[in-house]
Amino acid sequence: MIEVIELVKKFGDFTAVDNISFKVNKGEIFGLLGENGAGKTTTLRMLATMLRPTSGRAALKGYDTQKEPEKVRAQIGILFGGETGLYDRLTVAENITYFGELNGMSKAAIRERIRYLAQAFGMEDFINKRAAKLSKGMKQKAAFARSIVHDPDIMLFDEPTSGLDVTAARDVHDFILRCKEEGKTIVFSSHSMSEVDKLCDRIGVIHKGKLVDCGSVEELKKKHGDDDLEELFVRLVGAK
Amino acid sequence: MKLKHVMIVLKKEIKDLIRDRRTIISSIVLPMILIPLINIVMGGSIQKLEKDMNENVTVALSQSSNTAEVRELVRDRILSKNPNIVLVDADDPARAIENDEIRCIIDVENTYAEKLNKGQPIKITLQYDESKTKSQAAAEIVSMAVGEFSAEVVEERIVAMGFDPAILQPVQVEWENIAPADKGNNMMLEMLLPFLISMLIAIGGIPAATDLVAGEKERNTFEPLLTTLPDRGSLLLGKYFAVTLFSFVSLVAILVGLAIGYMVNPNSLTVGIDSGLQGIMLDPLAIVLALLITIALGMTFSGIQIALSTIAKSYKEAQTYLSFLMLATMVPGYATMFTQATDLSPVMFALPVMNTVAAFKMLLGGRIDYFNLVLALGTSIVFVAVTLAFAASLFKKEKVMFRN
Ligand SMILES: Nc1ncnc2c1ncn2[C@@H]1O[C@H](COP(=O)(O)OP(=O)(O)OP(=O)(O)O)[C@@H](O)[C@H]1O
Ligand SMILES: [Mg+2]
Repeated sequence: MIEVIELVKKFGDFTAVDNISFKVNKGEIFGLLGENGAGKTTTLRMLATMLRPTSGRAALKGYDTQKEPEKVRAQIGILFGGETGLYDRLTVAENITYFGELNGMSKAAIRERIRYLAQAFGMEDFINKRAAKLSKGMKQKAAFARSIVHDPDIMLFDEPTSGLDVTAARDVHDFILRCKEEGKTIVFSSHSMSEVDKLCDRIGVIHKGKLVDCGSVEELKKKHGDDDLEELFVRLVGAK
Repeated sequence: MKLKHVMIVLKKEIKDLIRDRRTIISSIVLPMILIPLINIVMGGSIQKLEKDMNENVTVALSQSSNTAEVRELVRDRILSKNPNIVLVDADDPARAIENDEIRCIIDVENTYAEKLNKGQPIKITLQYDESKTKSQAAAEIVSMAVGEFSAEVVEERIVAMGFDPAILQPVQVEWENIAPADKGNNMMLEMLLPFLISMLIAIGGIPAATDLVAGEKERNTFEPLLTTLPDRGSLLLGKYFAVTLFSFVSLVAILVGLAIGYMVNPNSLTVGIDSGLQGIMLDPLAIVLALLITIALGMTFSGIQIALSTIAKSYKEAQTYLSFLMLATMVPGYATMFTQATDLSPVMFALPVMNTVAAFKMLLGGRIDYFNLVLALGTSIVFVAVTLAFAASLFKKEKVMFRN
């Protein structure tokens, strides 16, 4: 479903992503684990066609990110951590509609989809309120809904829980699992080992731009002979 | 690039901007109300001053010449020509000027009667306060009355000598205006209107441009937008047309404001000075060309504004860059403000901002010259292309798009 082959991204002399390769199968949740500045966001941005790789390639659902960027973008939904990125002066419905239209949906399909999403996320009460007037939790739901308005097959999450309190973080986790239930393929980045352990089928540990190790949590534990996850993470990261 | 995507973005940006109070106030409300209001107030005060200067010109005699005979001479022979001059009594004339009770003091020398009889020149001194516009004007008005009195005396003397007074005027000068009847005097309008049109179209998009790129980046809405299906070119064009549209909206706003001002007070359009709306060239082709030049100017500046807003690292920085742009825009505007419609040069038509100023000056008072208008349109299209290409190249630059 997602294929990353020897991906490199340099900013000037600085190599932010250094020869990374991994595969994500359909319906899998793949975790990119790494500390600050490891290169997670840069990798995800390349997958989302926002940045051009310096070398190497990535393909999503068989579409090359450089040769067919629009086809790639049509397949993906994105949720970035920190701010929700909603338009404050638009209502929740208008925010969702905008992204639906941009992704090529018909008016009728969007209307139908909004009805479904409003119900699914319990947003009926504030679907026609401007984003500026919403609470943090409401905004988050709206952002979830917006990211999947076009029902993408692939979801990219970049540290979606950073800066969130425990409940909000759990809502994000629930959302990720719900996407998995719907059969979506998911890549998500995190610097929290426990979060990755809880959600991911497989993980890639990334450090200073390099993929240090890759496999299921079980495999990694077996391979490195350690049960304490944080310890394992520190060891993997320190290994290079 | 797809038109459909451009339209989706444009539609959304319009909706978004209309709900932004900051943009609405600075690109619609301010131009619509502020400038016409300034015109009305300024025009009103200029007219009032002019009226005040000529009416109720209060004068008094100096203490030394304040006698019954002098008063009679001054009132009945000198000041009677101008009913606006009022002779009043003042105990302390100098103080009276100071207190604005009178505007001018007339001092007639004591020996005037004797000198007048002998045919010798008499001296009349006008005392005024140079720091007061009205006092200065009063001195001039009184001086004119004295001049007329003097001419009268000359005439009396000539007649007494048995000559025809006409010998004093060997040549008579006559003035005749041969400008075509439809060419009015629109000097003030020629000065102000093209300037305002060009300024508004060039700077009207600034609030929108600031919001649509730097604002989006600041609010973290830009990155999700970039991950949607449309290519960057479509996103850029949608925003670009929204900015262009808003520069037009603010141009229309000021024109509406000026029109309302004109209806309230016709002289407001020209800041109270000779309101002439006659003699404007209503050549349809020239009007169309001027409009196209204006549109091109709006697009050129949208391109520059979006580019600056994209380069800026923050909303604040975008505001700073764009206020510099605003000042820079005023340079060509002021440089050509006082150029008359008859003195337009091809160079003006080939430069941005100046070309629009020149085109409208031509419409308002010059002879229509299609070569220059087409030249202006041609160069404008080049500017549009260059600035748009520049903005587009920035939208493709990773360094500029993802600064963090
Ligand atoms: N546009 C850019 N220009 C220059 N350097 C960049 C750019 N984007 C990222 N970098 C650098 O590349 C490195 C990797 O950054 P990246 O954002 O991918 O890390 P990350 O793993 O997402 O970290 P974080 O947990 O802080 O989000 C960092 O050192 C960062 O400073
Ligand atoms: Mg990151």
